[in-house]
Amino acid sequence: MDHLLYLAMSGAKENMNSLTLRSNNLANANTVGFKADLEQARAMQAFGDGLPSRVFSMTERPGQSFAQGGLMTTGRDLDVAVEGDGWLTVQDAQGGQAYTRMGNLQLSPYGVLQTSNGLNVLDDAGQPIVLPLPLEKISINKDGTIVGRPEGAAPNGMEEFQRIKLVNPDIRSVDKGNDGLFRRKDGQAEPASADVKLVSGALEASNVNVVDEMTNLIRLQRQFETQVKMMQTAQKNDEAHTQLLRLS
Amino acid sequence: MNPALWISKTGLDAQQTNISVTSNNLANASTVGYKKGRAIFEDLLYQNINQPGGRSSADTTLPNGLMLGAGAKVVATQKNFSQGNVQTTDNSLDVMLEGRGFFEVLLPDGTTAYTRNGQFSLNDEGTIVTSGMGYAIQPEIQIPENAQSITVGSDGQVSVQLMGQAESQVVGQLTVTDFVNPAGLQPMGENLYLETQSSGAPLQGVAGADGLGVIKQGMLETSNVNVTEELVNLIQAQRVYEMNSKVISSVDEMMSYVTQRL
Repeated sequence: MDHLLYLAMSGAKENMNSLTLRSNNLANANTVGFKADLEQARAMQAFGDGLPSRVFSMTERPGQSFAQGGLMTTGRDLDVAVEGDGWLTVQDAQGGQAYTRMGNLQLSPYGVLQTSNGLNVLDDAGQPIVLPLPLEKISINKDGTIVGRPEGAAPNGMEEFQRIKLVNPDIRSVDKGNDGLFRRKDGQAEPASADVKLVSGALEASNVNVVDEMTNLIRLQRQFETQVKMMQTAQKNDEAHTQLLRLS
Repeated sequence: MNPALWISKTGLDAQQTNISVTSNNLANASTVGYKKGRAIFEDLLYQNINQPGGRSSADTTLPNGLMLGAGAKVVATQKNFSQGNVQTTDNSLDVMLEGRGFFEVLLPDGTTAYTRNGQFSLNDEGTIVTSGMGYAIQPEIQIPENAQSITVGSDGQVSVQLMGQAESQVVGQLTVTDFVNPAGLQPMGENLYLETQSSGAPLQGVAGADGLGVIKQGMLETSNVNVTEELVNLIQAQRVYEMNSKVISSVDEMMSYVTQRL
C-alpha cells in the first residue's frame, strides 16, 4: 500500500480535529466571557529512505483570542464586565486561584459572592468574599470594591466591603484549563493589579467571530474533501497496479 | 462519530433554551409583577488530545497542545428582580411594592408562596385574595360587607370606611416578606414564587421598615421585561442556532463524501 493513503488520512483526521475546535467556538458564541480558541496546523516530518515526502500534519491549539467581547448592558447590580485587559479571580474546584471574565455574579444564601456556576469570587487577600446579609443595595465599583447598604441603614450608610481580586497577567503566561478557567502556566498565583477596570451593570459577550468561524468551517470542509479525493487517488493507483500485474 | 456533531448539538440545545426563556419573557411582557429571566451558559470541559509540554522527541517538547472543548451548556436560568414600572389604575385593591419584598399567599395545600403581583380581589366571604386563583393573602384580611371604601396605607395597614360611621376602621395589616437571595426563589407560575434552600429563609416585616419596600395603593408594578433587549436576544439566539446547525450539515456532507467516494 502506498504511504499517500496514510498521509491523506492523517490530514483528514487533523481537519476533523480543527473542525471540532471551531464547532466548540460556535457552540459558545453566546457564552458570557468566553474566549475563542485558536487553531493551527503544523508540519510533522517523518522522512525515511527515498524521497523526503513523508510530512504529516498536526493540529494544535496555540492559545486563545484575548480580544474584548462586546459589552451587553443588563442593568443588574451584580453583573460586571472587565474593560480592557484583566481578569476576575475565582476559586476553582481544587481550591486554587483561577481567572475568568464571566461576570454574572450572584450571592449565595450565606452571602458568599459567587459566579453563576457557583465558584467563589476571591478578594485581594485570596479569601472568598462574604457579605453581611441582608443588604438593601449592593454595587461593585470600577476598581472592584464592593459597597452595600445594610437593610434599614440610613441612605448615607453605605459600607465598603472587600475588593474583588482583579489581575492582569501577561496573556502569554496564562492558559485555558480543562474546566474553561484560565490559570498561570507556572501554577503561581498572580498578584492583584490596580490597573484593571470593571464596568458594573454590563456583561462581556463571547468574543467568537462567527463569520471567521463559518469561513474556516467552509475551508476545513473543502480541505477535508481534498484529502478524501487524495485517498481516492491512492485507491485508483492501487487498482491500476493490480490491473498491470494481472496476467491476461 | 465525530465530536463536532455533538458539540454543535450542545450549541443548538443551549440556544433552544435561550429562545424558550426569551419567548417566555416576551409572552409575559405585560404580566403584572413578572420578573424577567435569562439563561446562563458556560463552556463544557475540555479534552486533552495533545498535552502542551509533552515530549515530541528525546530532547524536544510540544510548545502547544491540542485541547478540544465539548460545547456549551445551560447552567442556570436566573431571574432579574429589578423594579418594574408603575401603572396607575386607581383601583383600591390594586397595590404595588416599591422596593424589595413580596406579598405572602396561602396555597390550598397549606404551603406559603410569594408574589409581587398586587392585583387583589375579594372572594364571596370578603377575604382579600389573588385575582387569578383566589388564594388568600396572608395574614388574612376580611373586608366587612358594609364597607364603603378600602384604604391601604404605605405601611400595609388596611382600613375601611363603614356606612354611617365617621371614623375609619382598621381591619388588618399586609406584611412584606423579603429573601436574602430572591434570584434563588423557585417560580411556580401564577406569578408565585416558592422558598428554596438557595433563596434563604423568609424575613417577614412591615412595609417601609428595615429597607423593605413600601406599599402603594391604586398602582401596579408592570413586568420588568425590556422588549427591545429581548428582541436583540432573539436575533442573537436565532443566528447562533443557525450557525450551529450549519456545522452539523457540514459534518454530514463530509461524512457522506467519505462514504460515497471511498
